[in-house]
Formats: sequence, C-alpha cells, structure tokens
Amino acid sequence: MANGTASSELFENLRLELRRGCLIVAVLAQLRTEQYGYTLRKALADDGLAIDEGTLYPLLRRLETQGLLVSQWREEEKRNKRFYRLSPEGEQILGQLLDEWKNINASLDRILQEV
Amino acid sequence: MELLDRYLQAVRFWLPRAQQQDIIAELSEDLRSQVEEKEAELGRPLDDKELEAIFKRCGSPILVASRYRPQTQLIGPALFPIYQFVLKVVLLWILVPVFIVIVGPAIILPAAHRWSALLQTWSALWSALFVAAGVITLVFAVLERTQAKFQLFEKWDLRSLPPVPKQEQQPSRTQTVFELVFGIIGLFWLLAIPHYPFLILGPAAAFLKPAPMWHSFYLPMVLLALAGVAHQIVSLLRPQWTWFPSLARLITTGLTMIVLYAMLSVAFQGSNGGWHPFVVATATPDPAHSNRLTAIVNLAILVSLASAWLGLSIAGVIQSWECIQQVRKRTPHARDPALLRML
Repeated sequence: MANGTASSELFENLRLELRRGCLIVAVLAQLRTEQYGYTLRKALADDGLAIDEGTLYPLLRRLETQGLLVSQWREEEKRNKRFYRLSPEGEQILGQLLDEWKNINASLDRILQEV
Repeated sequence: MELLDRYLQAVRFWLPRAQQQDIIAELSEDLRSQVEEKEAELGRPLDDKELEAIFKRCGSPILVASRYRPQTQLIGPALFPIYQFVLKVVLLWILVPVFIVIVGPAIILPAAHRWSALLQTWSALWSALFVAAGVITLVFAVLERTQAKFQLFEKWDLRSLPPVPKQEQQPSRTQTVFELVFGIIGLFWLLAIPHYPFLILGPAAAFLKPAPMWHSFYLPMVLLALAGVAHQIVSLLRPQWTWFPSLARLITTGLTMIVLYAMLSVAFQGSNGGWHPFVVATATPDPAHSNRLTAIVNLAILVSLASAWLGLSIAGVIQSWECIQQVRKRTPHARDPALLRML
C-alpha cells in the first residue's frame, strides 16, 4: 500500500516535471492570438492541457518579464481584463522551442523504436 | 461576494507590495468568471459551499501568493552539501568532543555538585551548538548571495581534484609483529612494577612509593595492556579483517579514557579541597626535601594523565572517523565523497 502511494507520488512528480516545459510552449502557442487569462485557461483545458489559475498567472507574469509576452488592461463586458499576446521576441523563441520539441520527439521515437 | 473578497484579501497580504493591485485584479477577474460560469450552468446564484469549493480548489492564500514570488532559498543546492559537511564537522566532530574532553571535565571534575555542573555543561553545549550553527548558516547565506560575483564554482582545476584512493591495503605484517613484541614487553613491565617500583619511579623509588589509589587501577591497566596484545595477535592471525584494527583501537582508546577519567576523578576527590596523591613519601632522614619532591612528582603525574586524556580524546575522534569510513566503504550505497574531498 505504502509502496503504491510512493510509486504514484513519484509518477505525479515526474509527470509534473514533464508537463512544466510543455506548458510554456502551449501557453506561448495559444497566445499567438490575444487572449485574457480566463479564456486562455479554458482554451488550454479544451485542448487537454488543464492548468489552474495559481500556476497560469505567475507563469504569464514570468513570461512577460522575460519579454516573451506583452499585456494590456482593457475593459470588456464591463469588466477590466488583462489581455496577453506573444511579443515579436516571443514568436522567435516559440519557433525555436517548437523546433527543439520536434527534435526531442523524433529522438524519442527513434529510441522507442530501437527498444 | 464577501467570501471572494475575504479570499483575495488573504492572498494580497502575502504578495509583494508593488504587484498586489495588479495580481489581485487579475485573480479576482478569473475567479469571478469561474463563479459566473458556474451560476450560468446551474441557473441560480451559488451558495457559500459552492463558492468555497471554487476557492479551495484554487489553493490556500499563502500558497497562491507564494507562486508569484521568485523562488528564494537561504542556501542553494550547490552550496548545501558543503554547508551540511561544515555543520557536521564543526558541531559533531569539534564542538561535542571539545565539550566531552575539555570543557566538561574542566567544569565537572573540580565541582562540588557534580549534577549541577553536568547540567551547566549540557546547557553550555547546546548554547554553543546553536551559536555555531547560526554563524555557519549566516556565513553560507552570505556566500550564497555572493558566489556568482566571486565565481566560486567557475574557477576549478582538474589537476587539483583528489587522486582516486588506492585499493584498501592490509596492515603491514612487520608492523603488527613489532607492535605485538612491544605490547608483550609493556605487559611484563607492568606486571613487574609492584615488585620493582624502580621500573616506574627510577631512583626516586628509594623515598617514594605508589599511593593506595593504584590498588584500584592496577588491574584495569593490566587488562588494557592484555587487550592490546590480544588485538595485535588477532591482527596477525586475521590480516584479512581490515576493519578490525581501527575498531579495536577505538575500543581500547575508549576504555583507556574511562580508566584515566576514573583516576583523575579519584585524584580530585581529596579531602579539604586538596587532591589524592599518586605517590607518597616513605620514611626518610630529610622529610622536608622528600615532601617537596613528592609534590613535584604528583603534579607531573597529574599533568601527564590530563595530557594523555587530551591526546586520547583527539585520537578517539580520528579513530571514530576511521571507523565510520570503514562502515561507509562496506555500505553498498555509500555516498561518493568526491565533492567533500575537493574542499
């Protein structure tokens, strides 16, 4: 029982580690079109990458500080919302990250085929 | 939505002041959107329980706020193993032995109330441990913040790394034989002393004799010498027991320290604030000269025993370390101490 818990905890940690990098790529890719936090979360969840608000907003702030996103407060439906979109630098980095992602994927495919 | 305001207020408290407004506005917008969506789905306003479920899923205020802060650590993963090593060496291998060997005996032995002196030493030890741990932590915290500036981990030379240790060697047979021979000679010397006091007192044996306290300690001393001989015999017959010499040395050191401690304790328990002598004067024509000489010899023996205690304590610490190293070598998953050896 304890072994099972430890094993599932280990899996959860590894899963989160694997997901962390992918989430950044997914967020950058989604923000090729302008969105605010809540719709971005919904869009990611609809595509199978659910992310909670406690993770998404700090990530958005970090990416903005790094110059990959730009944001703007605007009123929509009588409420102030912060809209994010990819900056030119973000577009360039996203392209590089996607190339890297494809390389990793191809390598993994080859490794898995060898086994 | 009082519950939402309370939740946001709690999150705000833990946020960096400069970003509070911005973060709370964005988080509030998200939570309000979630509430509205749920209300639209149910076709009615949410009750407190349903609202609570949304905020609970979002996480505790302090946890939510912590995600907006940059990750900070007092001592990072690069310095932490060195910090841990220094802490262990200073607290366990320096402070504790110093208290057991020097500070403790210095407070306890001459004290009239031994238990109160023991408590005093115990509390002084803890104070010293806390202060040392605090100072070390402070130094490493400063190092953590300045390491990038001084490029602590960038400057290193492959050739300055420690060499790979040679395979464990068995102790030299000649050395063991010599130690055995000298051990046997020492044992016979000790056995002969009661009959020939000259062997220990030299020419002073004419007017000095061992004090009665030796009757209690003579047998333990003989047994210790005998144990030393037995240790050498086992080392000679079982050279493949590479763990044995260091363990035997540590045990012998410990037992010798116990005997020495007992002797010093008895010596300090003299009447009228004085101390029990190790030698006493025999009847001589010049008692004044004999008494003076007795006092000098007693002081010399006292100093020798205290020095031996100190020397053995240091040896004990080194031998304990050797024993731990032996155990580590025999542990299949022993940690690689390469990093520590780089220090």
